[in-house]
Parts: sequence; C-alpha cells; structure tokens
Amino acid sequence: MKQTYKIAEKNIEIDSLFPEIHAFCSDYVTNQIADFSVKISEQDIVFEREKSVRESIVEGLEIINYPDSYLETLAVYRKIADKMLSYETMLFHGSAIAVDGQAYLFTAKSGTGKSTHTRLWREVFGDRAVMVNDDKPLLKVTDSGVTVFGTPWNGKHRLGKNNSAPLKAICILERGETNEISIISTSDALPKLIQQMYRSQDHSLLSKSLELISKLVHQIPIYNLYCNISYDAVNTAYNGMK
Amino acid sequence: MKLNHNFIVHNTGDETLLVPTAEAPFHGLIQGNKTLEFILNCLQEDITEEEIISAISAEFRGNADEIREDVEKTVSELRRIGALDE
Repeated sequence: MKQTYKIAEKNIEIDSLFPEIHAFCSDYVTNQIADFSVKISEQDIVFEREKSVRESIVEGLEIINYPDSYLETLAVYRKIADKMLSYETMLFHGSAIAVDGQAYLFTAKSGTGKSTHTRLWREVFGDRAVMVNDDKPLLKVTDSGVTVFGTPWNGKHRLGKNNSAPLKAICILERGETNEISIISTSDALPKLIQQMYRSQDHSLLSKSLELISKLVHQIPIYNLYCNISYDAVNTAYNGMK
Repeated sequence: MKLNHNFIVHNTGDETLLVPTAEAPFHGLIQGNKTLEFILNCLQEDITEEEIISAISAEFRGNADEIREDVEKTVSELRRIGALDE
C-alpha cells in the first residue's frame, strides 16, 4: 500500500504492509511527487517489537504485545526521522503549542506533565493558542531560526495539526510546588536536549542530529520551568519566555 | 579495549559528551571535561588502561595517583554502560 504525504515541507511516500498507517497520516495526504520514499518490511516490525520489549524490561514496565500495524507506525517514523536529517530537520520529543503564531516547545521525561501544561495554555489563551504537536514534532533548523512542524505522530490524544510555526523558545519542564522559570546556559541546556531528541541507530545520522541540536541551542533560548498544575504556571511560563 | 561503535563523542567546546546511538543498551549521557575527552580519544584505538594512564601522565601535569584514580573511575563507568569492547 502506497500513498504520499507532505510532512515538514517534504513529500514522503509511505509504502506499508498494513492500511492503518494511511488512516493515521490522512490529514497530510498530497498528490505531489515524492521527495523520498520509506518502505516497511517484516524485519522492521520485528525490530520495533524487540526494541519495545527491551525498553519495557529496562524501565521495569509491563511488556505489551502491540499489534503489528501499530509497530509499523513507529517503524515508518523512525525511517522518516532518519531521512529528514538530510533536510536539516530533526524529530524532537515534546509538546509544542503556538500562541499568537509563535511556538513554545515543552520537553521533559514522559509522565512529567508536558501535555497537562499545554492543555492549561489552551484554556488560558483560548483562540490565540493552536496545538502544533503534543508529542513528536519535527524541527527544521536553519541559520535564520527554527520552525516547528506538526506531524501525524502527535501523542495518545492526537493533539496537533498539519501546521507549523517559528520556534520562540524551548522549556524544560519539571514538577514544582511553586512556579518559577529561568533561562539556562547553552552548556547546561545541550545535554538535557540531547536526551529528548531522536537518536538514530546510525553513527553518522546521530552525528548530524548532534550538529543540528548544537546549532539550535545557539539560536533559541532554553528555559527551565518548575511548575504545578495551575493557570499561574501558564502565566509564569509565558511571561518568562515572551 | 576500545570504544564501542554504538557511542559517539561530541565536543561542545566547554565539555565532552558521550552519546549512545539507539542501538546502545545505555540511554543516558556521559558528560565530562578534558580528561574524559582525552580518554575517549585514546579509546578510538585498541588500548589498555595502563597505556591510557601513561598517555595522560605524559600530556597533563598532575599527581600520579590522582591520574590513575581518574582513569580507573572513568574506565569503570564506561564499562558499566557498555561503552567498551574488550
């Protein structure tokens, strides 16, 4: 099954084993000629299953027997993420929301509360706020700035749109009793951002990701936010970064 | 021993980072100073712990016991995260 999708300005043909990936990506369909193609094999599904089991064991989580069609969505994005590095574009783990057309990207370990925090932003800002992507946006890093792109891989609540916005700031979120935001140095920020970027299996592609994240950190201010679940947390974050 | 191919060394200017690819069993990050950078450079080729200690002693001035302790500690950490082929 083949279909082409426009994601982060590139036309990508997905050649899949199962139909589900095409429903998953349906908001991104294009009729344009593909810039590149990703083809999934049975071996890719096996790889994703083994990786999922390995990570569950390491993290002490229950091993879930995911359907092959779900594992294929992971395999597709892994291949796209590798290819997009040639276009100065990288996958990053975080929840991105745009307010007045400028994107703020919240990143943290899973379970910290990124999605909860951006939900509060939507409640506070109403129509001024648009979700770009709640889980795995793509970031295009150029000499004149960074753009965040929505992708179909937008988290378990499928929050996000086929849209993009210039990145204003990245915020590393941590839980706190009170709300406090501070800018952090590039040398403090870089290791934290590396932990949240997509890491390829391929040595040279990982080097490319490191080059892009190093370039990003010199252009975009990075903040540390300690916050609770409240509208005051939103005001603290927004006023600290705007 | 030698640095495993699933790890890459990234220098930021201020410090040295050892970053695992998705293939590595370790998912964290190792950060360090010039000594780590030097040790990781040594480990691009097959080398023994004693040879690393000798190389560092020739490169940096410092207390011999402290250099030995630094190298042993770093090598032990690299071994723990699976970054060494031995």
